[in-house]
Amino acid sequence: MRDARGNIRRLPGIRLWLSGGWLTFLVLAAIFAPLISPHDPLAQDLFAGRLPPFFEQGADPAYLLGTDSLGRDVLSRMLYGARLALIVALVAGTLTCLIGASLGLIAGYYRGWVDLVISRFIDIWMAFPPVLFAILLIAVLGTGLMSVIIAIVVIDWTRFARVVRAEAMGQGAMDYVASAQVAGRTRFGTALTEILPNVLPTIVALLTLEMGIAVIVEAILSFVNLSISTDQPTWGGMIAEGRTSIYQAWWVLVFPLFALFLTVLSFSQLGEGLKDHFDPVLR
Amino acid sequence: MKVSRRTLLKSAAASGLLTAVGTPAFASDIEELVIAYNVNLPSWDPTVGPSAVNPTIQGIYQSVFDMFIHQNTDLSFAPGIITAWGWNDDKSKIWMDVREGVTWHNGDPLTPEDIVWSLERAGNPDTGNPIQFIWGKIGNFQIDGNKITADVKEYEPTIFKWMSFLTGYVMPKKYYEEVGADGFEAKPIGTGPYMVDKFERNAFVRLKANENYWGGAPEFKTVTIKFVTDASSRTFEVMSGNAHVTLEMPYEEFDRLKENDGIVGTSAPISDIGMIFINDVDPMLDENVRKAMAYSIDKKTIIERLLSGYGVPIDTLQTPDYSAYDASIAVPYDPDKAKELLAASGYGPDNPVKFKIQTTRGFKPKDYEIIQAIVGLWRRIGIEAEIEVYEIAKHYELRAADTLAPAAFYNWGNAIGDPTTSTGFAMFGPSPHSVWDGEELMQKILPLWGEADEDKRIEGWKEVDRYIADNALVIPLLQYVQPILHSDKVKVTPHASGALLPALMTRS
Amino acid sequence: MQIVRALLTRLITTLITLFGAAIIVFVVIRVVPGNPIAMMLPPGASEADIDRLKALYGLDKGIFEQFVIWISNVVQGDFGTSITLRQPVYDLVIGRLPATLELSVMALLIAVVIGGAAALTATLYRGSKVEGGIDVAGGIALSLPDFLWGLALILLFGVLWPLFHISGRISPSLGFEFSTNFYLFEALARFRFDVVLDLMGHMLMPALALAIPLAAIILQLLKQSLKECMHDDYITLARTKGYAESSIILRDALPNAILPTLTLIGVQFTFLIGGTVIIERLFSYEGLGNMAIDAVINRDLPLIQGIVLIFALLFTMVNLVVDMAYAALNPRLRHA
Repeated sequence: MRDARGNIRRLPGIRLWLSGGWLTFLVLAAIFAPLISPHDPLAQDLFAGRLPPFFEQGADPAYLLGTDSLGRDVLSRMLYGARLALIVALVAGTLTCLIGASLGLIAGYYRGWVDLVISRFIDIWMAFPPVLFAILLIAVLGTGLMSVIIAIVVIDWTRFARVVRAEAMGQGAMDYVASAQVAGRTRFGTALTEILPNVLPTIVALLTLEMGIAVIVEAILSFVNLSISTDQPTWGGMIAEGRTSIYQAWWVLVFPLFALFLTVLSFSQLGEGLKDHFDPVLR
Repeated sequence: MKVSRRTLLKSAAASGLLTAVGTPAFASDIEELVIAYNVNLPSWDPTVGPSAVNPTIQGIYQSVFDMFIHQNTDLSFAPGIITAWGWNDDKSKIWMDVREGVTWHNGDPLTPEDIVWSLERAGNPDTGNPIQFIWGKIGNFQIDGNKITADVKEYEPTIFKWMSFLTGYVMPKKYYEEVGADGFEAKPIGTGPYMVDKFERNAFVRLKANENYWGGAPEFKTVTIKFVTDASSRTFEVMSGNAHVTLEMPYEEFDRLKENDGIVGTSAPISDIGMIFINDVDPMLDENVRKAMAYSIDKKTIIERLLSGYGVPIDTLQTPDYSAYDASIAVPYDPDKAKELLAASGYGPDNPVKFKIQTTRGFKPKDYEIIQAIVGLWRRIGIEAEIEVYEIAKHYELRAADTLAPAAFYNWGNAIGDPTTSTGFAMFGPSPHSVWDGEELMQKILPLWGEADEDKRIEGWKEVDRYIADNALVIPLLQYVQPILHSDKVKVTPHASGALLPALMTRS
Repeated sequence: MQIVRALLTRLITTLITLFGAAIIVFVVIRVVPGNPIAMMLPPGASEADIDRLKALYGLDKGIFEQFVIWISNVVQGDFGTSITLRQPVYDLVIGRLPATLELSVMALLIAVVIGGAAALTATLYRGSKVEGGIDVAGGIALSLPDFLWGLALILLFGVLWPLFHISGRISPSLGFEFSTNFYLFEALARFRFDVVLDLMGHMLMPALALAIPLAAIILQLLKQSLKECMHDDYITLARTKGYAESSIILRDALPNAILPTLTLIGVQFTFLIGGTVIIERLFSYEGLGNMAIDAVINRDLPLIQGIVLIFALLFTMVNLVVDMAYAALNPRLRHA
């Protein structure tokens, strides 16, 4: 979505450490969710609905961060929700990256009509509001984890394609590619072995950014009731529910929102940090 | 973090961002009644298009137009434009007497020709009237003085009930033919208690009292209906005193806000129910599974905890106001029996029966939460239902194609309170709205469509409801309650059909 | 001559893009499961009733035939009739477009003011804690998308400290009658500042949510360009003349550093408009995006087509204007 280069080079160490730390914590929480969750995230108790978190009056110490309207434990649901957020981030992010980068590489290297077709598709894609496009796609595919992942890939492949195409064009013009061709390697072999390593830092940085975006898209789709629709906990679903009971039970909205904030921030800071780290021009 | 609306109002006013301009006179008595309505009015023709079947919009239509036959707030029928009606002995003809001395808003007298024209127009497939399949069952109208007779082309026992239901409005023949559809849209006239004074699309409509109304002029002489589709904006309108009446807000908000000074909450059950359709596909062909599903739902607790008590548990598709309601048909909450039934089919918490349940989300109050609660209750006894959220558009398509999931949550409105429009259309196999296609049920319902003896007909439907309840062919959940917040200077009388009618409002 | 040819090429590619977008939307929404016709029917209707209404709305023909009919109507300015709202799609879209445009432009203005001010401040206090603080804030602002900022603003200024409206476009009670749908513009032109205040109270939160990430982008790029300029000879010259640092930045460095930022703002503006879809939903703001989501939920096919087409038109137009402006402003391109 945004290509402005980050140039905050102050304290890159702390930034990387903090974001890496939070993400590691999240991964551990997701993996060990069944062990550390105080409750079954699906267990309801209609008579223990909307209990406040521990520091407010009327709280039940068994529910640290309170309960939602069905009496489900907010903390346990957040821990299990982290699993889904990370799955979406990893799978959708990687797939988007693979497809988008491949198309960008092909367009940027082969040029000609291939480039023309792919560029035209990029133009068409850029003419849609991405959120509206995603909502339309979910309406077609139906709700569910797979649909969400497909929707993310379909709307966001252009992000990789555009950047990688531009980089590949620049790299393709350089001498070493020409010499590799003289040396008799196949064209696509050249693309892979010579260009890919050079655009890899950009791709890795973009991939981290994309993971954060994937988490957000899932939350947005949940917000318009179009994401994963079982009673399996997702942060986006919790936020959507919390938004409607904001005056009665703010904690159902605030805690998952905070987790989402930190996660997206961490992914993006990690991406910026990696970009600075890899990019010799900026460094 | 606890913030009341009151502090919100204070600080908002203090910040100077909510400068109210043109606030209606408020001092002691309400001169101009302002109502914040939850739906927009897309069209002034009450007989065509999707707005014609939207129950909430009927409140606006019924202020300007009259229905053929009047309906009281408890769903019973009363003389309206048609003062008396009936069948001939062999039910091959119907007759209707037209009220005399009624005038249209432009001063023209209402004549029997208007009634005939309206009925013929409704029965003409080209107009796009969505209820044409009912209106088309009568034809060949004859006028003799004030009496209209018509031939029955196909027997329809509920034809007169439809005359006070969706699209059953009297329209002005002469005026409509003069100005055409666009002219009518620009300046609609009817015979109802209010005349359209000014209509600003997507914003508001201002109504003026019809002093010559046959049923007596309404108390409030000027009524402005604002279209405020956002629930929190709507309640804000009433709290800030900019509107006097509003409806449909979350029940928690209703309970919280009605405690404020000068605000009164009125709530009444309406003819709209929540239910779970059951499709006769595996595993729903196993009656133990169906019955276990029904016995394990604690409707009372769900209504109390999730809907703040606003709802009436029901065990058949009839609410207590409907003509075929029978209190003796009951499906108790009995989780132990449910477990037994499941065990008899070899299911239990360790070996649950699995299927999919579809539900809307945010379409009806707490719909998604109610289904989550039900799935939670089921999980305890050995039913593992996977929730899929769908929109109403998809529900309709799936229902028409008979491809709903084994269980599907939906609502069902029925403002005429007749069993044909509740149990009938929902459960009769060949109807495109039914998803249970069992042969036995179909044979039980079939003779009732044409039953000419009214008592026998109603008794017959009660038998059908009992059969459905005993075999758990559908799971009725609750009757909805409509929350209305209003100023204590207005007395609001709710209508069981769910239509919010300004003509029924008086100064208190 | 060259500029005319460039313009023509751009126009043609723009048309191809629009046409491609139209095809994709048309095909996608016709495989959407969900039946707008069945929704209009009450219980008791038969298959025949459904077919009758389908024919009435032209939905009984093949996709290709429907597309040809639709596109030939669109070329003649007829976008069809909305199924759920029963009004011409053109009227609906044109009616809502001003709301979205006002919101987008307001967001853009806020972003430019905040981003620009932050960049100038950071340049003035180069190397101090102020610059560090601005950098960190900018980094966070850039990392989080408009949707999250919207939720945060609702919590902060709608619930915790209820200063602003968090839903709608105008208080329904104002009783002010507009003759256009450019409410803010019209209220300003008619000197009704009470109405302007109310409109702003509604618009500020959604506009700010959209503006924050863009402000951060402007901050970063403008600051970078300013930094590069500050080493140029004419700046050193100005310093030797004894001008104050702040006036040097404003009068000498800014005009030279602003061009890349202006181009970037143009490109980012389309992303901002795309963001209005979810932000309008979040704040119940009655613009195009909010209507679009309802149209998808209700399967209102003609309306979805109309809205997507108008968005596509808007995006391509903004891009076109940006390119033209860039060509006109950039002296290097002009002389080439």
